[in-house]
Amino acid sequence: MSKETRQSITGLAMVLPSFAILLIVVIIPIIQSFIMSLSNGSGGYDLSRYMYLFTDKGMQSNIVFTLRVTAITCVAVILVSYTLAIYMRFNQGPIVNLIRKTYMIPLFIPGVIATYGLINLLGNHGWLARMLEVAGITLPRIIFDEKGIIIANLWFNIPFTTMLLSSALSGIPSSIIESAKDVGVGKLTLFTRFIFPLSYKTFLVALTFVFMGVIGSFTAPYLIGANSPQMLGVSMQQVFSVFQEREQAAAIAFFSFLLCSVLGAFYIRSMAEEEKAKI
Amino acid sequence: MRLKKPFVSLLTVVGLSMSLLAGCGNGSENTSSSTGGNAAASGDPVSFNFYFTGSQNVKDLWDSLEPMFEKQHPDIDVNLVYIPSGTGAEPTYDRIVAAKKAGKGSGGIDLYEDGITSVAQGTKDGIWAQLNEKDVPNLSKVNADTMKDVDNFAIPYRSSAVVLAYDSSKISNPPTTLDELLKWIKANPEQFAYNDPSTGGSGSSFVQTIVYKDLPEEDIHNSDPAIMEKWDSGFSTIKELGPYVYGKGIYPKKNQGTLDLLMNGEVSLIPAWSDMVLQQLNEGLLPDTIKMQQITPGFNGGPTYLMVNQESDKKEAINEFLNFVLSPEAQEVIVDKMNGFPGIELSNMSQDMQNKFDGVAEGFRTFNIGDLGTEINKRWQSDVAAQ
Repeated sequence: MSKETRQSITGLAMVLPSFAILLIVVIIPIIQSFIMSLSNGSGGYDLSRYMYLFTDKGMQSNIVFTLRVTAITCVAVILVSYTLAIYMRFNQGPIVNLIRKTYMIPLFIPGVIATYGLINLLGNHGWLARMLEVAGITLPRIIFDEKGIIIANLWFNIPFTTMLLSSALSGIPSSIIESAKDVGVGKLTLFTRFIFPLSYKTFLVALTFVFMGVIGSFTAPYLIGANSPQMLGVSMQQVFSVFQEREQAAAIAFFSFLLCSVLGAFYIRSMAEEEKAKI
Repeated sequence: MRLKKPFVSLLTVVGLSMSLLAGCGNGSENTSSSTGGNAAASGDPVSFNFYFTGSQNVKDLWDSLEPMFEKQHPDIDVNLVYIPSGTGAEPTYDRIVAAKKAGKGSGGIDLYEDGITSVAQGTKDGIWAQLNEKDVPNLSKVNADTMKDVDNFAIPYRSSAVVLAYDSSKISNPPTTLDELLKWIKANPEQFAYNDPSTGGSGSSFVQTIVYKDLPEEDIHNSDPAIMEKWDSGFSTIKELGPYVYGKGIYPKKNQGTLDLLMNGEVSLIPAWSDMVLQQLNEGLLPDTIKMQQITPGFNGGPTYLMVNQESDKKEAINEFLNFVLSPEAQEVIVDKMNGFPGIELSNMSQDMQNKFDGVAEGFRTFNIGDLGTEINKRWQSDVAAQ
């Protein structure tokens, strides 16, 4: 056996276990739910479940609402996290130390508890409302609204995204920044030409994580969201366990998988391009 | 030496986990041997598994009933399996069905407690055993109509009623009829809330009561899908209420969701389970100004049912237990612990108990509309929530 064949066999053997796990816990269930979503309940197979998904008024607004919340959250999380990460990378002092020590705290608080905390804080008779009342300001409705879900999503996603981005930024050599500054590059150009391209890969990873996390989120949208429109995760739960329409729930699940896979494909393609460029 | 240390700790970890695993193995072996039917012959008690779900008060209830029963019946061991509300009820049901389909008998679940939906579903799936007065003599004490509603597939061993809970510091004359209630909601915008009916019984009861408001009495015991055509006027009434309820159309999740709003003073009138209100008043979670009012005709209340797994091979022991649960002494404990209604007819209870329920029990109705309850929730979601 030549060295090359032996190497490729070893390579295959090492990939096999992870591929098997992927097959069992991801690929097969997706295929199963796809098949389930095609059954129309009377023995036949057709696209009626998907027809319902896109024609039912309630479902349509659920899908639009989910995409809207996800898009807003992604933009807001990336903006806040990038700003925080850059601030922490290029500044020093007590404020930076404080941020560095505290920004990860939300990661250690379980989702349900954080959600109840937000309800107590932001509810109509919550702490914030009571504090503002002293100043004569009436708090607009935040809970049971789109705003509530977005705030909760920010709380859950900012710490992790900031962590990812700061590690990427700390990988940028100071010498590059310094020399660019030396030749008189402005702050904006510094960001668009140097910092962003050098952290682009992590940026994409972070975006993918936030997108997938938000699109499938359940706890916060369930507890502080409106009754309609709902996030897809909440709607899926309702269709599955309250209405007991497993095929319809499978259709929603498969649809949200497709939504995620769009971003996933985009991510994988750009990674593959980069690998090719390296070779 | 340096090399040895991780090796030693690895060994310790492996050893520890082995012994833990071995412990688990022993544990399950013990239960399986004692649950075996022939164990009774050797003098060991017959043991069966009773799965129940609910809030802490349900657990407290069974924790006090079980020793009472086992004292009277040393030959029977009831193994209580408590599943906290909201996490495991459905998987438990699915396990029963799965065990039956796989030909594995009872799947270790002999007795199960749940609401009417599981009764209807299980009757359809053929997993519940039919019960009769010969095996469980105390069944004669239960209202015959209620037993007919479930075709003797389940025992309604306790009931709770949905009532109006209100803040007496804001409302002096709470509505006493359904029509008065509807008028009150419109006259006091955003002061009334009910929870999303698919997430909790009190909201569901409010919706069902209005949907069946103008329908004949026998319809509430009918699960024929043809009745769905008669729902229109009820649903239009509920839709009209939309702009007048809390937040102009916000329906909190779960029974506790509306209670929280009442507690915060955001609303002043809600439908709620009487036992939840009483319990939270006792624990000081709700302010003393919260009072309850039953309306006529009553909101539909819900019995909680005990169902015997058809596949169980310990039916004799289970029947003994069921007979005990329906005895007046056990029912008295249930009423005290759960602040609910007894499952047996009041005439079988002590005079004290009968006096306690004087004038309250009449307002209580049991609905049995089977799968239609799910249909109502579906229609509510598309007609009312998404309006």
